[in-house]
Amino acid sequence: MIHTVNLMLDQRPEVLERVLRVVRHRGFNITKMNMQLEGAKHVSVVMTVESKRTIELLTKQLSKLVDVIECSALAH
Amino acid sequence: MEQGQNKQGQVMRGADAVIKVLTDHGVTNIFGYPGGAIMPIYDALYGAPVEHLLSRHEQGAAFAAVGYARASGKTGVCFATSGPGATNLVTSLADALLDSVPVVAITGQVSTAVIGTDAFQEVDMLGMSFSCTKHSFMVTDMDELVPTLYKAFEIAASGRPGPVLVDIPKDIQIGLLEYKTPVQARVEAPILDANKIDAALILLTQAKQPMLYVGGGVGMASAVEPLRQFIKITGVPSVATLKGLGAIENDTSGYLGMLGMHGSKAANIAVQECDLLIVVGARFDDRVTGRLASFAEHAKVIHLDIDAAELGKLRLPEVAIDCDLNQILPALSIPLQITSWQEEVAQLKDEHQWQYDRPGELIFAPAMLKMLADKLPEDSVVCCDVGQHQMWVAQHMWFRKPEDHLSSAGLGTMGFGLPAAIGAKVSRPDATVVAVSGDGSFMMNVQELTTIKRRQLPVKILLIDNQKLGMVKQWQQLFFEERYSETDLSDNPDFVTLASAFDIPGCTITKTEEVEQALHYLINCEGPYLLHVRIDEAHNVWPLVPPGASNRDMMEEMDKST
Repeated sequence: MIHTVNLMLDQRPEVLERVLRVVRHRGFNITKMNMQLEGAKHVSVVMTVESKRTIELLTKQLSKLVDVIECSALAH
Repeated sequence: MEQGQNKQGQVMRGADAVIKVLTDHGVTNIFGYPGGAIMPIYDALYGAPVEHLLSRHEQGAAFAAVGYARASGKTGVCFATSGPGATNLVTSLADALLDSVPVVAITGQVSTAVIGTDAFQEVDMLGMSFSCTKHSFMVTDMDELVPTLYKAFEIAASGRPGPVLVDIPKDIQIGLLEYKTPVQARVEAPILDANKIDAALILLTQAKQPMLYVGGGVGMASAVEPLRQFIKITGVPSVATLKGLGAIENDTSGYLGMLGMHGSKAANIAVQECDLLIVVGARFDDRVTGRLASFAEHAKVIHLDIDAAELGKLRLPEVAIDCDLNQILPALSIPLQITSWQEEVAQLKDEHQWQYDRPGELIFAPAMLKMLADKLPEDSVVCCDVGQHQMWVAQHMWFRKPEDHLSSAGLGTMGFGLPAAIGAKVSRPDATVVAVSGDGSFMMNVQELTTIKRRQLPVKILLIDNQKLGMVKQWQQLFFEERYSETDLSDNPDFVTLASAFDIPGCTITKTEEVEQALHYLINCEGPYLLHVRIDEAHNVWPLVPPGASNRDMMEEMDKST
């Protein structure tokens, strides 16, 4: 299954690394990604991910991260 | 607190602010090991109103913080320096993450100016922490130091607890700041969804054969009392995970002990036969479920946990509620009409009692541990290492509450027991603290005997010795054609002599007739003691669900004594 994951994050130097680790560890491959700063304090990330696993396994784990403000996913 | 208010706005070093944040959080004990990049914090500690216990390896310090937290419910705190000091924390932090233990680890770091230059004792601890902590910080701004430490304590203890690491560069420790207590956002309590409670109540009343599967979340949520009330009112039969042991009183009607790979046969059969599984603060771990697809395969599931990410992770529940168990359980406590199922479970329990009547004069560890449990005073903590002895403790000992049984469940870390017992004894000084270890595990953090010596901590060590890396050897015997690769430990040191080098007295026993008196002495003597117990290497842990099998297919005892 392919999904687009939308994230709003607190802007910290390590935040992208933290998110990417969870994506990999929970069994998802990123096929496309875009990030940009949203003002001084936030970052938005849009990524397309592929996996045999259900997307909720990823969105629930990402939502647990302290620096994740919003997380949602759409099926392709 | 008064002292804290007096210091509002006071200018101080970052290192002094670290100690002040700790004391403002009621921290009375820290476990750690100093080194170059954390020296300013150790300087601030000198003479401070907080007690530091020097470990002899940072892994031991962090495990002591874990033991401290698990035995008391308070947040454990440990210190380590940068580089090797910090990397030595990793195993203990991973252990705390998998077992949801609130720990704040503070590590020194090289100065911000040289971070990223491969400076002496520099390691990217923030990067290393992602997979072994609930959250982590590196402080690079003086003004952020105090708010960050406050956040660390909040995150460690809230929701599903876990370890939080704060990496503090040396220049931040030395620099000056104006101390201001941060205003913390009130954490909103989760709201109980009445519709979900209704849906769960319908499933409960429809069930003919409900089972309760209780995990470590009950103890972590301080929900032992509402759980016991739930069992009393509903009459539902129950099983527990390794971390759930102690949540249910041992003599509770319908309580079948531990389920899973080394659970009781009655527990596993009852769960396989149930038509409704009520999962409370547990997470369908593979050591619990056996082959997941055939675990409680005819059951509907009600899953209750504070962590929404656990709901549906491995088994799709019919009803899932992510809320405080203290709110959920009373709302679900209604009388159920399940008399014939209760009778069936009682019969299962009766048919599958543990057998302790082992012929021969060699010591049978399960019988010894049962005797130990029966002899321990009310206020006791048992800390295990990992392996066969750990499973025997879980099967044959009984506990009054979850915080009386500290076992490395999720990570299964050999070397956990001795330092965890040190932490437990510090947090509960009036309790009898017993470290039950094996001859393999004991050597993994044996340096912490010095920590016991330093404070003359009366930790009681029960070392069960079969001269083997027993659990691995058991699997080699059963599943690897008896090819005993690297599991012989017959070159073990003389453990009693080893203990005596740390001023810890001890003795060795080898015969069943010696057990009762030796246990009595172990528990009742003053000061630390090591009781070294030689057992028959042929004794394995039974029953056993083989890897990949259903919990219904347990292997039964097939030991032949040597």
